[in-house]
Amino acid sequence: MADQANEFLKDYQAFAQQSWDAWMRYLQQQSGPSNPFGVGATAMPQQGDFLARSMASLKAYGNWLQQAASAGLGQQPTNPWQQPAAMQAFLSAFNQPFAQTIAGIDSASAFGLDHQWQAWLQAMQQAGTMGVPGMAGMPGLSPQMAAFGITREVQLDQQALAAAMQKYAQINARYQGLLQKVNAQGITKLQETLAQHGEPGKQVESLKGLYDLWVDAMEEAYAEMALSQEFRDVFGAMVNAQMDVRKLQQQQTEQVCRELGIPTRSEVDSLGKRLQQVRRELKTREQAQSTPEASLVHTLQVEIAALKRELAASKGETKVRPIEQASGSGNGNGKPGTPSRRTKATRSAAGKRK
Amino acid sequence: MQNPLHIEPQQAFNEIATFQRKLAAGLQNLRGLGEQDYANTPREAIHSEDKLTVWHMKGHHKPTAKVPTLIVYALVNTVWMTDLQDDRSLVRNLLDQGEDVYLIDWGYPDGADRWLTLDDYLNGYLDRAVDAVRHRHGLDAINLLGICQGGTFSLCYTAMHPEKVKNLVTMVTPVDFRTSDNMLSHWVQNMDIDLFVDTLGNVPAALMNWVYLMLKPLRLNQQKYVSLVDILDNPQELKNFLRMERWIFDSPDQAGEAFREFIKLFFQQNSLIKGDLQIGKQPVDLGMITQPVLNIFATQDHLVPPDASRALQQHVGTTDYTEVAFKGGHIGIYVSGRAQREVAPAIHQWLRERGA
Repeated sequence: MADQANEFLKDYQAFAQQSWDAWMRYLQQQSGPSNPFGVGATAMPQQGDFLARSMASLKAYGNWLQQAASAGLGQQPTNPWQQPAAMQAFLSAFNQPFAQTIAGIDSASAFGLDHQWQAWLQAMQQAGTMGVPGMAGMPGLSPQMAAFGITREVQLDQQALAAAMQKYAQINARYQGLLQKVNAQGITKLQETLAQHGEPGKQVESLKGLYDLWVDAMEEAYAEMALSQEFRDVFGAMVNAQMDVRKLQQQQTEQVCRELGIPTRSEVDSLGKRLQQVRRELKTREQAQSTPEASLVHTLQVEIAALKRELAASKGETKVRPIEQASGSGNGNGKPGTPSRRTKATRSAAGKRK
Repeated sequence: MQNPLHIEPQQAFNEIATFQRKLAAGLQNLRGLGEQDYANTPREAIHSEDKLTVWHMKGHHKPTAKVPTLIVYALVNTVWMTDLQDDRSLVRNLLDQGEDVYLIDWGYPDGADRWLTLDDYLNGYLDRAVDAVRHRHGLDAINLLGICQGGTFSLCYTAMHPEKVKNLVTMVTPVDFRTSDNMLSHWVQNMDIDLFVDTLGNVPAALMNWVYLMLKPLRLNQQKYVSLVDILDNPQELKNFLRMERWIFDSPDQAGEAFREFIKLFFQQNSLIKGDLQIGKQPVDLGMITQPVLNIFATQDHLVPPDASRALQQHVGTTDYTEVAFKGGHIGIYVSGRAQREVAPAIHQWLRERGA
């Protein structure tokens, strides 16, 4: 039985690798000609790169299948559910896919800071604003260093950024820790779920069936965590820490732009704010000017409608009376301040009947 | 108790091989499919302002409704969910019922819209859109159909301008933003929204998409695409899937100031039901809404929990309040087969009973 399982695993791994290689070749073929914007745009990911990122979820599923298969599921001659060690060995195969999925979403989205972080550091170093040797990857940024000399302000900015980055890294580690807890709790839930499938006829008979149960268990564990007070605290702190970093990055970028005579986002924002205020004032004035006219027209319309009703009444009272009666009965309920819309509805009905 | 897993090695190998084969073959089917069109029900622009357009939707027959209905969608995602494809279109179903349908396409905000406030949106854009439809029909008041955040906007608008709204329909609309099962609300409680908006300006659509994916990370980012492999050999199903993908990720950025106000006032302070909400200089009191109200919520809504919507009954001023529970989710209420059969007829019947 063990030989059979090993042979299966070997065959599968070779097959999976070949298939994945084939997909990637296919995607690369689809990426089209090289970037037409030339040298300056070489850092831009190509279409195939984006597509490959989208395909990562399927690759993650492939990994999941491989891990499930390599855990030797369902092949033990004895019952693993009565052997805690065997159970742990089997379930440990599911530790990583959840975290990998989360990491995949992060890296593919605008919210993933890590890859931007590296690109930004490189850009700033090229611009000459972060050239002082010191911390690994972030030269000369020790928050404890006293700032002095002509570059004092720049040093302070860099120290603030270093401190913000450190704080973000710490909170991000706490966030990752919570996701690891989700892994553990999800596995426990999967174990509990599987325990309900021990009866004949209820057994899980496909990898996809097992995968769906795993997703259910993980999502349930994640939802519990995501609604916890701890998650709320850490999530809020992580977002705030990331915004601190981004804001400081923007400030330094703007400093460079100002030195190069390039308009900054702050300046554009300032203009936009003033423009919007002017537009608002303009609309208010237009409305104020148009209101008397509109009101006059409305008053005239009401008067004309009343005159028409009077005219109609003088020609044939029986046609009008029911309307007046209906109107009277609608308002004559003894309650003051009948909603105006009821009056309008009646007036509208009167108009229709003419 | 037996081993709950009964998967033979050869069977597992076959399953994996089948998956790989389907994927490899199916990827070829993606070639040439390109971008999938929405339903594109015939329409005419009757009002536009900045990036906003009010569309008059055209059905096969002349409307029989006496009062037109204006659909007010959320600022997140686009209104085309209501007209996604020929056989999954709330708009078409309403038109087929005889309703006269208008909708607001808010457009895609950019830097010029960074300082738009909720006052600009509700007492500015929305008010002028309502006026455009009212004047076109020579009516004092029209029907509003608000969806999700657009439903919240419709409630606020009706409370501030009750004379312009005849009947109000809300769909999957959050009213109580602090129910215990509201994950989005839970996550934003400790966020420094001022720092957030001051830093980002307009809130990028990609970030909004990230948040929505993170509500159910495995289901929305992996399991969904695993299931895709099963329909790769079905061109029609594949097109439907791709059309939905287009809608999901075709998101506008969020105008910074309006976003700041919405998160603070609604999510963090829950002011709409506390009664201390103010938009611009106008107080918003749900008790002022005395029009008939139809409130439709989805029982499996993971974005707007049912209790968040059902709270409306306790706060709205009308005595003519109707609640409809739809068996489905936040998106299914527009595109599922059940939605095609149930939602538009329910709205139509409710409006007709109220002489609209």
